[in-house]
This record gives sequence, C-alpha cells and structure tokens, in this order.
Amino acid sequence: MSREPLNRKTGNTVEMDRSKSSLAEDETLLTLEQVRAKLKGTTGKKLWRSIDELQNTPEFQAAVEREFSSAGSEWVDPVSRRGFLKVMGASMALAGLAGCTKQPDEPIYPYVKAPEDLILGKPMYFATANPLPTGAVPLLVKSDEFRPIKVDGNPDHPYNHGSSDLFSQGSILDLYDPDRSQHVTYQGENRDWSDFAAAFRDKVASTKDGTGVYILSSTVTSPTLARQWKAVQAAYPKARLIQYDPAIAGTFLAKGYNVQYDLSAADVIVSLDADFLSGASYPGFHKLVGDYAKRRKDPAGGMNRLYSVESTPTTTGMKAEHRLGLRASEVPAFAAALAAQVGAFGASAPQYSWTAEQQKFLAALAKDLKASGGKSAVIPGLYQDESVAALALAINQALGNIGKTVTVSSEPAIPIPSDQIADLKGLVADLNAGKVDWLVLLNSNPVYSSPVDLAFNDSLLNKAKVVAHIGPHYDETGRLSQWHVPSAHYLESWSDARAYDGTVSIVQPMIEPLWAGVTAHQVLQTLLDNPQLSAYEAVRATQKDNIKGDFETGWRKVLHSGWIENTAYSTGGALKFEAPKVPAPNSKEQLEIIFRPDPNVYDGRWANVGWLQELPKPVTNLSWDNAAIFSGYTREKLNAEEDDIVEISAGGGTVKAPVIAAPGHPDNSVTVYLGYGREIGRVGGGAGFNAYLVRTSSNPFVGTGSVKKVDGKWGIAITKSHYQDHRAKNLTEHSNENWSLEGVEALGPRGIIRYTSLEDFKSNPNFAHEGEGRETPEMETSLFPNWPYTANKWGMSIDMNSCTGCNACIVACYAENNIPVVGKQQVRIGRNMQWLRIDSYFEGDLAAPRAHFQPMTCQHCENAPCEQVCPVGATVHTPEGLNTMVYNRCVGTRYCANNCPYKVRRFNFLLYSDYETDSLKLMRNPDVSVRSRGVMEKCSYCVQRITAARIEADKENREIRDGEVVTACQQACPASVITFGNLNDKNSKVAKLNEDKRMYQVLADQNTRPRTRYLAEVLNFNPELEQRPVEHTPEKG
Amino acid sequence: MAQIFDRSSNALARASLVLTGLIVIALGVTLDQLQRSPWVTRQGQRPEQPVPFSHKHHVTGLGLQCQYCHTSVEKSSYAGIPPTKTCMNCHAQIWTNAALLQPVRDSWATGQSLPWIKVHDLPDYVYFSHEIHVNKGLGCASCHGRVDQMPLMYAQNTLQMEWCLDCHRNPAKNLRPTSQLYNMAWEAPAPERPVWCAVNAEKTGVPTAQSTSCTTKDPTGAGPQMAAMQKPTLEQEKTATDGSTGTIPASLHYEKFTSQDQLGHFLLKQYHIRNPYELSSCEVCHR
Repeated sequence: MSREPLNRKTGNTVEMDRSKSSLAEDETLLTLEQVRAKLKGTTGKKLWRSIDELQNTPEFQAAVEREFSSAGSEWVDPVSRRGFLKVMGASMALAGLAGCTKQPDEPIYPYVKAPEDLILGKPMYFATANPLPTGAVPLLVKSDEFRPIKVDGNPDHPYNHGSSDLFSQGSILDLYDPDRSQHVTYQGENRDWSDFAAAFRDKVASTKDGTGVYILSSTVTSPTLARQWKAVQAAYPKARLIQYDPAIAGTFLAKGYNVQYDLSAADVIVSLDADFLSGASYPGFHKLVGDYAKRRKDPAGGMNRLYSVESTPTTTGMKAEHRLGLRASEVPAFAAALAAQVGAFGASAPQYSWTAEQQKFLAALAKDLKASGGKSAVIPGLYQDESVAALALAINQALGNIGKTVTVSSEPAIPIPSDQIADLKGLVADLNAGKVDWLVLLNSNPVYSSPVDLAFNDSLLNKAKVVAHIGPHYDETGRLSQWHVPSAHYLESWSDARAYDGTVSIVQPMIEPLWAGVTAHQVLQTLLDNPQLSAYEAVRATQKDNIKGDFETGWRKVLHSGWIENTAYSTGGALKFEAPKVPAPNSKEQLEIIFRPDPNVYDGRWANVGWLQELPKPVTNLSWDNAAIFSGYTREKLNAEEDDIVEISAGGGTVKAPVIAAPGHPDNSVTVYLGYGREIGRVGGGAGFNAYLVRTSSNPFVGTGSVKKVDGKWGIAITKSHYQDHRAKNLTEHSNENWSLEGVEALGPRGIIRYTSLEDFKSNPNFAHEGEGRETPEMETSLFPNWPYTANKWGMSIDMNSCTGCNACIVACYAENNIPVVGKQQVRIGRNMQWLRIDSYFEGDLAAPRAHFQPMTCQHCENAPCEQVCPVGATVHTPEGLNTMVYNRCVGTRYCANNCPYKVRRFNFLLYSDYETDSLKLMRNPDVSVRSRGVMEKCSYCVQRITAARIEADKENREIRDGEVVTACQQACPASVITFGNLNDKNSKVAKLNEDKRMYQVLADQNTRPRTRYLAEVLNFNPELEQRPVEHTPEKG
Repeated sequence: MAQIFDRSSNALARASLVLTGLIVIALGVTLDQLQRSPWVTRQGQRPEQPVPFSHKHHVTGLGLQCQYCHTSVEKSSYAGIPPTKTCMNCHAQIWTNAALLQPVRDSWATGQSLPWIKVHDLPDYVYFSHEIHVNKGLGCASCHGRVDQMPLMYAQNTLQMEWCLDCHRNPAKNLRPTSQLYNMAWEAPAPERPVWCAVNAEKTGVPTAQSTSCTTKDPTGAGPQMAAMQKPTLEQEKTATDGSTGTIPASLHYEKFTSQDQLGHFLLKQYHIRNPYELSSCEVCHR
C-alpha cells in the first residue's frame, strides 16, 4: 500500500516546506528571462532535462524528492480506500487457501494433421517487407505456431542489415489491433467480398471506358499494384487514380525525386531541415543512420561532422555538432545562400537580413563544405519547399559529391509519381461537378486527413453515387461510405515493394487475414480479365522478369531471402533541375505553423497502436497527445503555461491544442504533429487534436495562422520529469548554484554524460575518467563478497556517440517482453512501464540546445542495491551476473525501486496486462511471462534469448558464441549503439568495447558496478564555430 | 458476590491457551500437507480423457517407441502431443470400428482437435524445456515414471518446485547413458548389474554427449552380464544411438560402474552438465 502520507495535501506541504528551507532564497520560481540569465552566467558545460527544471518550479522540486511522481503510488481508481481495504481483508483471509487451490484442468488441442516442418516451441523466421510510403523496410518476422510475434529487420539485406524502426516494430500490434474492421458491409449490413467485387466489376464494365470511376489510394508502393493499375487504365482509359498520402503529398518524394546518399564516405553532413536520424518517415532512414553511426564508432579513425539547419527541433538537430535553428520558411533562403556561397548554379538567393551569427554559421559551413568536396553530403528536408531539394542537389553537384556520396537514380522512388495535392484538388472539383459515379478509397481516409480547404465531408461524398471504402478500420471515412471492405495488413498480404536502394522485396503473408481483409491487388484485379487472380499470382507475374534463371527455383530463393538480387535502382539519373524558385521567408511578425507527421503515429494510421501512443516523442517526451509546440519565448508572449490550451486558426479552421515548449524551437512558430484527433479506436480515439483541420492544401507543411490562449488545462502526459533523482539536490547545495540539478548529476563530478571534442580526445583519450568523482571504485571497496562469475558474465555496452534517440529500441522491447500499455492517465502519474527509456539531457541555451541521448535501462549491477532490500528474494543475482526478477515471488513492496539509483524498475500498480482481448493473446511472446498486478518488473537483458542460446550451446557441448545472444533493443537499433555479450570472453565485441578508454559507468561512485556501460561521446567541432551551443537573440516574439 | 468461575477454570484457561497453539500448528501442518497432497498436485490422478489411451498397451504391448508420438522431445521445449493423423496411421487399418476410438475418427473427419487434458501441467510462470533434459541424459521415466505400465496416464511425481530442485541440486543421481533414455526399465547400476562406459576421444566436443559409449554387456568379453532390465524391445535396440547393445568397438577403454553415484558423476563430466549453483539459479526456469 501507499508509502505516502495519507493526506496527500498535507504530505505535499510538508515536503514543500522542507525543500524551501533547504534552498537558497533566489531559487524560487524564475521567469524565462532569469533562466536565460542564469544559463548565460555559467561557463563550461551544463545540462538540463526540462524547462521546469531550469525554472526550478515547485512541481519540479517536489518531483525530485519523490520516488514516483506525486500520484504515482496513490490509489486513483474510483474504488474508495475503505472499499479497497475491505476487499483486501477478504483476500487476506482467502490467501492461505488460495495457495492451496489447485490449477484448473488445462486442455491440449493437438493438430489433426500437423504442418510439415513445424516443431512446436521453436519459432520460425520468414522474410517479408513493411511497405512504408518512404520505402520498404526489409523484415524478418518471428513466427510462433505461424503467428507472427516479432518483427525485425532482415539481417541479410544490403539496405538495412537487420535494423528496423519504431513503425516496423509497432506494426505487429497494428496487425492484432482488436479494433480493425472485421466485415464487409454495405450500408451497415454484412456482405461478402464477392458481393462487392461483383458490384464493382459490373459497374466499371458498364461504363465501357471507365468514365466516372475514381480510385483514391494511399501512395502506391507496389510495382505489382502499379502494373495492375496500368492494365486497368488500358482497359478503362477514363478511370482515374488519385494518390494521396497526407505525410507525402507535396513533397519531392511524391513526385518521384530519387537521390540516395552514402554517408559512410561523407566527412561533412549537412541537414537542411532533414530529420533523417529520428525515424523511418525520412526515406532511407535505416541506411542513413547506419552509415552516419559507422563514422562515429572510432573517433580517432575519421569522424564525420554533422551540421543541422532546422526549424522544428528533432533528434537530428540535437545530435548535430553545430545546429542552427531557423524558422521553417527561412530554410529555403538559407539553402539558396549556401548554394551561392559554395558556387552552385545560379539560384538567386532572396534578399534577407541574416543575423551576424547566422552569417557566421553560413560562412563557416560553406568553407567546411568546400574543403571537403567529394566527401560531403547535403540532405534536403522532406517537408521543406521543393526548392530546397533542388538546391541541395545543386550544392552536392558543385561540391563534386555526385557519384561519390550522392547518387541520382534513373527511376522514381515510387512507382507512380504524381502531384498528389493537385490530383486531390482535381478529384474534389470533379466531385463537386457531379462527375464521380464510383469513388473507391483504397487504404485512404480523406474525411480525416484531407486539407481543410478540400474537406471530404458528408456533403462532398454524397456527390458521388457510390463511395466504397477499403481500409483497415471502419474509420471516419468508412462510416460515411456505402461500402466498407476491411483491408489486409501487410503481414497478411502478398505484395511487393522496393526498399530505398530500389531492391525489390516480396511482401509475403505471415498469417491468413484475421478478419477477411482483402488487398489492394484483389480490388484492382476485379476489373481485369482474370478477376479471381490472387495477389500471389499477380506478384509472381510482375516479378517474372526480375528473377533470372529457372523461375520456380528463383522464386523460392527470393521468398527465402526476402528480396530479389540485382534490382537496386540504377544510378546516373539525369540531374534535372531548373533554377528553382526560392520562396522568400515569411515576415517575422507572422506566426508560422509547421506541420509534421507525428514521430510515433505518423499520419494517424497507427493511432490505435498503444505502444506508439505511449512512447515518449523525441525531444518533447510527450506521450498520448500531440501539442502546439512553441519556443519558450513565444509561449511566454502568449502568456501560456505548459499544458494551457491555445486555439490555432488557419485556413478557415480552428483547433484547440495544449501548449508545450521545446528547447530550440524557432520563435513565433508553432509545430503541430499530424495524426491525432482520431475519432475511432479504443486506443487512439480522442487522443490529441486533429491538426488536419488547420492545414491547407497550398501550404501543407509550413503555413501561417494565428494562435490565442483560451481557458482551461489540457492534461498532457510528459515523461521527462518522472525520473529525477533526489540525490542531486545535496550536491547542488555545495556547488555552483547556477548549475541546474540534473546538470550537476550529468556533467559535474558524477558525469552521467561525459563528452569532449575530437581535438581534446586526441590529446587526452582518457578524458572520461579524469576528474574528481569519476574514478571507478576498486573491487575491494564493498562489504559484500564479490561474485565469482565462473562461466559467462553478461554485459552491455552503449555507444553514446552514435545513439540518435530514435526510440526503435523501446518499441522492440515492448514487443519482445510483453510490456503492457498503461494509458494516458497512468502515464501522467508516472506509471509508464517501458523497461527502456532514452534520457535526453539538453545542454546550452534554451533557444539553441544540444542534446545527449542516453538509453537507460536496468544496469544489472554486480553490487545491486535492489537485491539487498528485497524481503522475499524476488530479485536475485544469477551466476552469470543477471539481476533477475522472479515474478511469482514478488509481493510488491517496491523497496527495490526505492533503492535503485537508476530509476529503471517498473511496478504494475494495476492490472495493466490485457488478459481479455483475444487477438492480443496471439501476439504475446510465449517465452516471457505476462505480468499481473502488484509485480515489479524491469529489463531482463532478454533472459529468454540467453536461455535459448544456452540450451542450443549446451546441446552441442560448447560455449555460447559471441553474437549468439542479441537483445531485442540491440537487434532493432539502426545505429548499432548497443552491444551485448560475454565479458569473460576476452575476444567478444563487448569485452573489447569495455577496454575502450571512453568506457564509463553511470553512477560508478555508488559502487553499484553496473554491467551496462557507456562509451563517452566525442564531438567533431568545426574550430571556426563555437563548441558550446550558441545563444540566439530571440526573434520578435 | 460469589465467584463466577470455579478454580478449575484456571486449568481450562491454561489448556485452551495450549490448545490454541496446537490448533495453529495443526492448521499449519495441515495446510502444508494439503499443499503437497495429490489433491493439489494431482500426483497419481487420472483425469477423464476423450479416449482412454493406454500407454501400457502401446508401449509394452506393441513396442512403440516414445518418439513415434512425442516427436519433438529432443528438439523443442514441448515433447509434443501427437496429431490425430498419428493415431489414424494405424487406426485407419485396425480397430476401425471400435467404439472407444469414435472421438479419434470424429476428429479426423471434422478436423477438430481431440481435447486431451494435460496430465503434467506446470504453472505458467515455469519455463521447462524437454530438449535440454533429454539431450543431457535424463530418461523419460525419471520424471514420468513407468509410463509403459500405465493403462491410463497419470503424473508419477508432484512436479512441485522442491521436486525439481531436488534433482537440479544433484543431477548425478538421475543421469543415465543417452542410449537408455527411452528405456522404461532402466535401473541404476549396482554391483550385480554394472555398466561400462568409454569415452571416444575422437568425438569430444561433438553434440549431445555422443562422445560417450555405454553398455550393459561386459565389453572385455568376460561373459555377458545383462543389466537387470526387462528384455529390451526391438525398438529400443534400434534407437540406441551409440551402439550400446550392438557391436562393441574393442578399441575403447571402458570403465566399469557399479553404482548410480559413480556413473552419475562420470556422466556429469562427460555430458557437460552445469554445476548445481548454476542449475538452481532462478532464471533457469523463471523469466
């Protein structure tokens, strides 16, 4: 039960008083001005984790002193405390007997005919691909009894080498989403797929030439679907295909622009508002981040240098050595100025008054680029004006990068390039003109996601004679359509798709459609000569030419490996760019609205995936909502606190949104993430606000508008302040009071974050261990005897230098370890259950921070504080050094969490695991317990994988080989940040990394002897620019 | 006022105190016994099955080898319950009209599984693997008992944690040569039924204890000494992987064992069995 004082109010007051008395007078609530002054006054490095912390708000003070956040250990259910005690009393009485109750009879249902090759209990792996609109992600799916239970990158694929991303990791929950639509319906009545197919075919056939038949589809990614469409068009030339993907429409990608980067050869990388390090919403993410990271593994052996010019703060900018924050509309002008400076062909840069500091950045950047011609890469932002893409290409050409680090493909990146927004406008015009007989919506949800000026509402859809919706959910659009047909998930479908490098991957089904889903291939095939032809046959027909040699043999090989060899894009495409028209930046008085697909739920298609909803977004650490993200200044100008509500008006629409401030956000701008405000789904329905309501077709990614503060609080859930630590305060009292609390922890004597510049590293490779408090205590300094570790000794190494904070590891951990989703209210009170979190430590000025991303999970201490306090032996040390949880012993005292200095233990305050929903049961990893209420849990180093490897090795009478045990986070990581292995094996990768001079242990001074160790960062600064993130004078705002 | 209680009540009060103590102890003992009783553990109970399948008939009577049905016992954590097809392999030919087999034929006809009741049912938080036990020289009968003598299947052992730990703390007492895993009648070596084992040096490091050859016949040729076992069935002889009952390679150096303790410790080393400290660590079975 609760450790907190019964009367919470009193309890808080007491704590507040205590904290006040111990604090200096000037450490009361500060304004932002004061915070800036405070930051300015300091020299050296300083880190902070949230603006609350810098302002030293009472909430922050209180949070620091508590184990869980204020209500974390309170009983928040509607059940009264007394009622609870009554129930508990009864349970106590029964507890003695409950131990004696016998298990119920469990049935076994064996197969009638067992499938060939199936060994129950041994998973099988099949290759497939996740057809994202930004390029397919080649996958290897773990299948247990033919149920897909874990998605990972295909390790043999030349594009991603086994890495994945949070979208792919989360897609497994999307497959088993219980809210997916389950029936074909016609005006609300159940029908069969064949009914729809017949109606559709008859109608289209009756038009003879396809007049009045419109298909609105999400971006076509499948070569087979494109081929089928061409066949349909040949038969019915007047039928129209409109592609619309809200996160793609209006970008260079939709128009087929296909430029590829090889960052492994790039010494200098420049991002022009391109967020290529944070997720698969940027094309080629896996390869780009992998190559970027490769050049940061060995600092002495040639590091790259990343410059970022960006608007909305992203992990790419935070990771950059030098980051320049600009308003989104200034980026094209900046790109043009850069082009002019490096002597790229004559795009005339619009006249613009750059500040001295921006000019300095520009000059230094241009100089550095020219010095590394042929070994640099300039990457344009996907959501920037098209001119940025053209300018980036021109700069790359001027620098001689083409053919080296940058290649232009001769084929478009998507099979049917189009101007998606113009097409959508045309469709709306035709609808209004009454030209549309049949409107077929293929995996498209325009009622939700169309721009506000092209609103697909009831009356617009009514202008079509028949609207048929083929989609995964009975969603906003499905409800307004006559026909609704469930569409199959990619893990249920035959299809094909091309990865970023062009390699054709075959999408093969892992399971029969759970709920009668059909694929887009089947829909188009109904219009062709052989309407019953399956998607499988259609895909085979398309790929006939690509597979060399005997087709059947080749086909089997392709299904096994997952992709077709020699199908990568051919390079040497034409460098076609006219001098682009560079738009002038908006006036600084004008409020800019930046629209971005959400880092977690993308354009809203994954809104019902709980893992992705609960995942804290990079930089802001916001979960379960989107928000109006401002700079600290603009927020103050609006006179709004975090969590206040503002009304955003643009393009004739208004929405209400919660306010949060993000460090590094441009002033007088607001970023809103798309993908929220869904009306359907038990998970995503009602979360956040619908930003499409203020998005116009003319300015899909950077618009203008106005905001005003309105009354009320939203109730957002931000995780960043959950893991503060009490011990920081004691240190603050003795040190430079200008340093923030976490700053002391992170960079002070303790050095949670340790980094240096490349130059300093070269002269002093041992920097991570120098200074007071940074020595690792000797092995003798413990009251407890040392463990022997005679066999294996598991350890993990995390490379801080290459971690980009993309969150793929967290979602992989969800999937592997059956981690429950707790919901927004529980996250608000600090009860989120992720075993792994990524701590972002910000450094520098509020307007121009740098961040350090530190994946933090159970450190598996050799001297574990948790083990010593468990009264029931539920957390124990294993002979191989794991700090293991025995769930069935745990009685929930939470002493262990109290005693953990890393704050990595998670407690099931309520019954979070879903024991009811049938479809979710299919998804669970059978090798990991599903935890019930009252049980503590935490990272286990994927003990199930260790055990499986140990059994294999023991059967063969050998040691476990290095690399045989791969943790889920390690497997997912696109930057190879995490290395796991046996420290006793001196030749193992992890043991070698442990010998690295940069290796350090977090909180080593506690003598916990953590087994997870970190490699200190080394940053490759440009000597002409300041190492410290520079302070920016606030813009008007 | 007269005394309400007589002097004798003092004794009564004292007795009741003692009695209360005894009752508490008795309750504790009862609960403890209850927890270990067959009512809770289901040791020895025969649940009602859709078909009264007799292991005795199929194993002893017909000589079926365990793995004919339990196919994945060496390969996976599950031993495997045979699909209906396995039954029909024979019962499509024999006993085709037996009333007892109606559920099997129904299952075959309708495609619905036979709903067996689990006899050896571990709690869900225990992760047990057949493959590693079988590969490391633990015979079926060590845990499941003389299945070949069970007309109806029941659990020979409690499957409680103390029972598991009993062996994990001293695995030597149950190890046997891998050639004898499926021999239901295997008995520990004794002076009157010794076992000879030899290590084939050429085969060290090969998978699953193949490097060790054991036999119950005296390999020196000093006269056959059959281990006291019921005569090995044809099946068992065929599946003996290391030629224990077949021809004996004379070049090997055989060691004679006359007790389970000796043999167990020899095999412990040969089969690379982990030490009790590692074997009784929590994460071995719980995760």
